[in-house]
Amino acid sequence: MAQALLEQIINGTMMGSIYMLVALGMVLIYGVMHVLNFAHGVLFMVGGYVCHFFFTQVLDSYLLAILGSMAVLSVIGLALERGVFRRLRDNLRMQVIASLGLILVIQNGVIAIWGPNALQMRITTTDIRVPIGELSFTLQHFLIIGTVGVTVTAIWLFLTRTRIGTALRATSQNAEAAQVVGIDANRMYVASFLIGCALAALGGALLGPLFLIFPTMGDLPLLKGLAAIIIGGMGSIPGAIIGGLGIGIVEAVSTLYIPTDFRDTVVFAALIAVLLLRPQGLFGVRVRGEA
Amino acid sequence: MAALLEIRDISKAFGGIQALDGVDVAIDAPGIYGLIGPNGAGKTTLFDVVCGRQVADRGEVRAEGRAVGRLSPDRLARLGFARTFQECRVFPDETCLDNVLFGAQDKRLGVEWRQLLTRGMGARSARRDEAMRLLTLVRLDTYADRPAAALSYGQRRLLEIVSTLIARPRFLLLDEPASGINPTLLNVLHDFLLKMYEERPIVFLVVEHNMPFIMSLASHIVVMHQGRVLTTGSPADIQRDPAVIDAYLG
Repeated sequence: MAQALLEQIINGTMMGSIYMLVALGMVLIYGVMHVLNFAHGVLFMVGGYVCHFFFTQVLDSYLLAILGSMAVLSVIGLALERGVFRRLRDNLRMQVIASLGLILVIQNGVIAIWGPNALQMRITTTDIRVPIGELSFTLQHFLIIGTVGVTVTAIWLFLTRTRIGTALRATSQNAEAAQVVGIDANRMYVASFLIGCALAALGGALLGPLFLIFPTMGDLPLLKGLAAIIIGGMGSIPGAIIGGLGIGIVEAVSTLYIPTDFRDTVVFAALIAVLLLRPQGLFGVRVRGEA
Repeated sequence: MAALLEIRDISKAFGGIQALDGVDVAIDAPGIYGLIGPNGAGKTTLFDVVCGRQVADRGEVRAEGRAVGRLSPDRLARLGFARTFQECRVFPDETCLDNVLFGAQDKRLGVEWRQLLTRGMGARSARRDEAMRLLTLVRLDTYADRPAAALSYGQRRLLEIVSTLIARPRFLLLDEPASGINPTLLNVLHDFLLKMYEERPIVFLVVEHNMPFIMSLASHIVVMHQGRVLTTGSPADIQRDPAVIDAYLG
């Protein structure tokens, strides 16, 4: 039993790391722009496809393919902020509708380019096995956990130690107060979108080789990432990190006790439980006037 | 020579309500200027226009001869305009010290990297010392490492004012700084503002309803009523002016 538990904890940490990336990207955008970008899942998926394209057609280096995918998604993020979300700045409902519309456009765009069938990406780290006791994992598992650990630490340092990071934090806490001390809000909106999209690309590029790359591969990470930021507390970065990791581990460990098909049920039951017991989320703050 | 701050023929309407109706104010020298008037006189709207939060329907704002009426709040901030709000705005999750240090940062792009290369640590510790000095003056030094959310309403107001002053603005607009502050903190605020003006003679423009506070603080008073400037003068003259008394009593 202990072996099985350890196995699921490592599996869960790996998937939780992916959810963490999705949640962190969404929470950065939500914190600064106060818009939930439902297209984040398809951006994650595009990250996987672009990484596959770079790896198989251009670079033949997984690391460079990941970086290329992050760069391309940053540019896409920039274009989406400028072309779509900035124009709908004062209309939150339309921003949400636009992000839902983007799912259709991007998903079908990907199908038009790459076709509806799943793509496989063979890299060495998915073939190398790492034994732990009697268990064995792919090296990709640990590459994902390590990369996400380093990325999250880097984002944390960026947000707390650099001027732009501080400006992002300030804008998310009080946009108007940030503006009157000289922060250009437009630049912060662009920065949050750019970083959020690059993180989505990193997630897709890391998970793609382990499973397959297909047009709906971002749907579940989106829902789990969304659950993570609600459980963690909307707008809270530590909440997104703990929420993402927690969901990954809980869903993996739950498969020891209940049929695998029900693991999503466990996650969303946990979400409902948190909403009932602590509606503001684990790290969220209840705002006066809210029930 | 151009006036330090010139507000010329500013009008602003919200739907059918004429909030500002041809406001002219010229400030030729540094000083503490009080802006008073009954509720709805247009004081906050005038602040919003000067600080770029609202664009006037007509008229212009000039700072040292330069038209600034259509600049965004962040650009105005970089030109030396700072303001506080009626509803206090601080960064609640940051410590009091970080709130102040954030106001002190140079927001120009690339400055951080240049400072890293040129070992800007001296500048950073000087800013920190200055931030602590200002926090001590408003008796918030013991709260320096606590999040701003832990402060009382009055203390947050003081923190907001310190955060704006540390950026060394040339024009500081305070919107009802005394509201919600207890009498002890009010004295602290009064002495602090006078000391700051002594140290750095800039333009303070203060909207205030607390008459004893503003009359003892300001050297000049501008009275607004129904979107227009009713009169201007020294505090003593204003307190004797029957038109002002009429405006307040309706």
